[in-house]
Amino acid sequence: MKRIIISHETRQLFRSGAFRALLLLVAGALAFAAFSGQRSIDRQVDGAMAATAFEDAQRAKMRADTEAYEARLAAQGGKYEFAGARHAPGAGPPQGTNAGVVGAQTAKYLTLPPTGLASFAVGQSDIQLNYVPVSMNPTHTTTNNLELENPLNLMTGSFDIAFVLIFLLPIFILAISYDLLSSEKERGTLAMILAHPISLKELLASKIIARAGVLVASILGLGLVALFAVGTNLDSADTWARFSLWMAATLLYSMFWFAMAVMVNVYGRNSAANGIALAGTWLALVVVLPTLVSLLATTIYPAPSRMELTVAARDAQTDAEKTYMARLDEYYYDHLEFIPEGDERATDFLTVAMANRNAIEKAVRPLYDEFQGQLNRQESLVQRFQFVSPAIMMQLALNEVSGTSADRYEHFLNQAYDFHARWGEYFSVKFLQRDPLKPADYDQFPAFEYQEEPFGTVLMRLVPSLLGMIVLLTGALLIPFLRLRRYQVATS
Amino acid sequence: MIASIARKEFSEIVRDGRFKWTAGIMALLLLTALAAGYQKYNAHMAMQSLAQDQTNYQWLNQGDKNPHSGAHYGNYAFKPAGPLAFFDNGISNYAGTALFMEAHKQNFAIGRPATDQSSIGRFGDLSGAMILQLLMPLLIIFLGFTAFSGERESGTLRQVLSMGVSNRQLLWGKALGIGTAVLLVVGACVLIGGLALSLTGLHAEGESLGLRVTLMTASYLLYAAIFLFLTLAVSAWAKNARTALMVMVGFWAFVGFLAPKAAGEISRIVHPTPAFGQWMADMRGHQMRGIDGVPPFVRFEQESRAIFAEYGAETIAELPVYVGALRLQKFEEYDFPVFDEHYGRLRDSYINQRRLQDRLGVVAPTLPLRSLSMALAGTDLIRHIDFADAAETYRRDMVTRINAYLGEAAASLNTAGGVLVSDQEVFGIVPPFEFRSQGLGATLDEHGGNLIALVLWLLASLGLALWAVRRLRVEED
Repeated sequence: MKRIIISHETRQLFRSGAFRALLLLVAGALAFAAFSGQRSIDRQVDGAMAATAFEDAQRAKMRADTEAYEARLAAQGGKYEFAGARHAPGAGPPQGTNAGVVGAQTAKYLTLPPTGLASFAVGQSDIQLNYVPVSMNPTHTTTNNLELENPLNLMTGSFDIAFVLIFLLPIFILAISYDLLSSEKERGTLAMILAHPISLKELLASKIIARAGVLVASILGLGLVALFAVGTNLDSADTWARFSLWMAATLLYSMFWFAMAVMVNVYGRNSAANGIALAGTWLALVVVLPTLVSLLATTIYPAPSRMELTVAARDAQTDAEKTYMARLDEYYYDHLEFIPEGDERATDFLTVAMANRNAIEKAVRPLYDEFQGQLNRQESLVQRFQFVSPAIMMQLALNEVSGTSADRYEHFLNQAYDFHARWGEYFSVKFLQRDPLKPADYDQFPAFEYQEEPFGTVLMRLVPSLLGMIVLLTGALLIPFLRLRRYQVATS
Repeated sequence: MIASIARKEFSEIVRDGRFKWTAGIMALLLLTALAAGYQKYNAHMAMQSLAQDQTNYQWLNQGDKNPHSGAHYGNYAFKPAGPLAFFDNGISNYAGTALFMEAHKQNFAIGRPATDQSSIGRFGDLSGAMILQLLMPLLIIFLGFTAFSGERESGTLRQVLSMGVSNRQLLWGKALGIGTAVLLVVGACVLIGGLALSLTGLHAEGESLGLRVTLMTASYLLYAAIFLFLTLAVSAWAKNARTALMVMVGFWAFVGFLAPKAAGEISRIVHPTPAFGQWMADMRGHQMRGIDGVPPFVRFEQESRAIFAEYGAETIAELPVYVGALRLQKFEEYDFPVFDEHYGRLRDSYINQRRLQDRLGVVAPTLPLRSLSMALAGTDLIRHIDFADAAETYRRDMVTRINAYLGEAAASLNTAGGVLVSDQEVFGIVPPFEFRSQGLGATLDEHGGNLIALVLWLLASLGLALWAVRRLRVEED
């Protein structure tokens, strides 16, 4: 009997024009989302490549100058010397021999590679650039990154697969199941069906299985198509592990909304009342609660003002400049081995600038740490409050699965800061020792390779969101299960 | 007759427990949003004016140094919040707040609040505007979808029409009744909010606040009326209440959630925004090549004869101005058109994207309303571009003044070595930075189309409602 009902419901669904239109709409939205998610990722990858190519070309040109200089010396004789920093082209050794110039005036772009599923959820990756410039400038300028996207579009957000799943999919689910029982009741067919050897529970289960089967299979299938169409690293196990987690999250989230429809239906109200209740639930869970949690996070742990940071950095700069001889002595006190011969300190603007940067770095570091600290506290508050809304859990899970989460970005930034220190150290030592850079030294510059987080770490961060959804789903199933006994089939 | 229908509709709605709940929740959210918005606005404004005063002071008191070093030290421009930002924060979270103005370089505004927010911030801000744009229409739909379809189902439509009430009277009466109930909720909150504000005050001299509030109110009333008449039209057209509800909820989800994102994405496909890395490499390459293919150093050599002739000098020694300052100024000027071209390209892509999104308002009234609301709140793209332009104008004026001073004061350095050191008095030749918005006029020129779009939507929904009630037949029932 159950099988008959499932196949009947499935046939019914496909025969209904509204359902076919909805399914087409879902497919269209997913295709568009996959396409635009991929565009967003491609744009970043191309941008990273262009920036890297430009800076590498700058250094290559400096290296070519030193090669020419070396060749000239080999022909004419003479000592390979260190050039003072200049504003304008001039005679003498090329600027490429000056490690301070190379380290400060060219940047090294570090790239956070997108995961195979990056186009599934753009997350914060449209705001936090996945390539950051590292030079000898203070650390906090590294993240003053300049993603150029139109702020209007950033405000609106991306039309990515995560959006289709979190916002639109529930609406489709509710549209095909808000009148699961109420329509049968209103048409008077419910009592007739239940006259057959089938319980109300089985009937409800069959109806849900038919709908969920068709919709969820379509979504997961379309996800697979999207992965093949726009995914990258298809031969990597990581991509497939991420895709399985994506399927699990999508399944849980869809089932939650089907359970909501069932829950509302067992209260026995009419279809219109069910529609209102479900639309209101959707609004509360997907729109209102996430904004309230976000408001709570920014109210309890507000970030300090970026304007304040700017003013503090400038105060430190003025202070450093006004007392720069003292600063310089302090700096050399830490680096006794670098004191150059003679007294050329006072006229060397690069040395002064380096001492300044040091002072600014020290002065703004506490403020900067406060930004990261408040952000981390906001994120952990969101982690705790995510359980109030499946939409928040789903968003966190999808960002995690796609590798566009705040945690992965911080993991990348920490590596970038370490590299920043290595890069600065390499060039400042050479510079302070007035050790001229030779062409071969260009091969010895610190290199950066992003170390991906172990998959276990990603999984651990996913657990709360997935578990939360499981608990919520169980709760949403349990209530109608208990309530069903009191359902009145006949309207009095 | 209309009045008594309206009265009946109104009291029926207000007596319903569901109305009390939905209205109560909405009022609570609206008040929370306004309070949070006002707190944020106040904190931003206090910090902005403090920071601007401080950096203006820092510019003057940066210590005795060479004027060109002073220009490198530069100044910052901090963006004030729009006059009605507490109601509609617009793009403020996603646009920079601090713009560095220094010698040689045009910069972007940095410090976007969104980077200091958790990822959940992307669900959007709970603001007064968001509630009126998204929640109010749903309230209207909930209150209105049964207006005709419900009466048809319960059989009272036949009775009412048999009493000699015309279909139109019925439409106007119901619209009036539901409209009053909605206004009761929204209007009360807006009044309370407005009253609280007038006690605390807004920093908005010369921003024509009254006109802004009036136009804002008018836009949201238009928007509410669009949903009201559409709901009534669908309610009269649909066979039963649940179909009416589903059609309207679907429409609401489409215009409120799907359309803005789709419009944003479409506008990006039609007018792509360059990626930072690509754009930066293009511009810096262009700077090095020179605007017309002549690199700055070469060009200065080529032009130096003409420059010398301008001053009636043959040799450097005869120049009445410092050649270093001349070169600095020329190099700045060589870069101006390069900056104009590349920053202009970016700005044009933004503007074109925004215009296209506005035009897509023909399929979703939320788009023109959203655009109009941000513009009137002073938190839109036009205002942001206005700010960036003001900062760049200031920067160019700053370096020009400093270079002019350096040229005159350091003429002796042409032949002798040394460094010119200046003090506070010299840095005082650059006036402090203060942002003055271009006012409402420019904004309105750009947004006339959006207002027209809303009016057209209203006329269309009104027409649809009239058409739907005309074909309302008792026999159909």
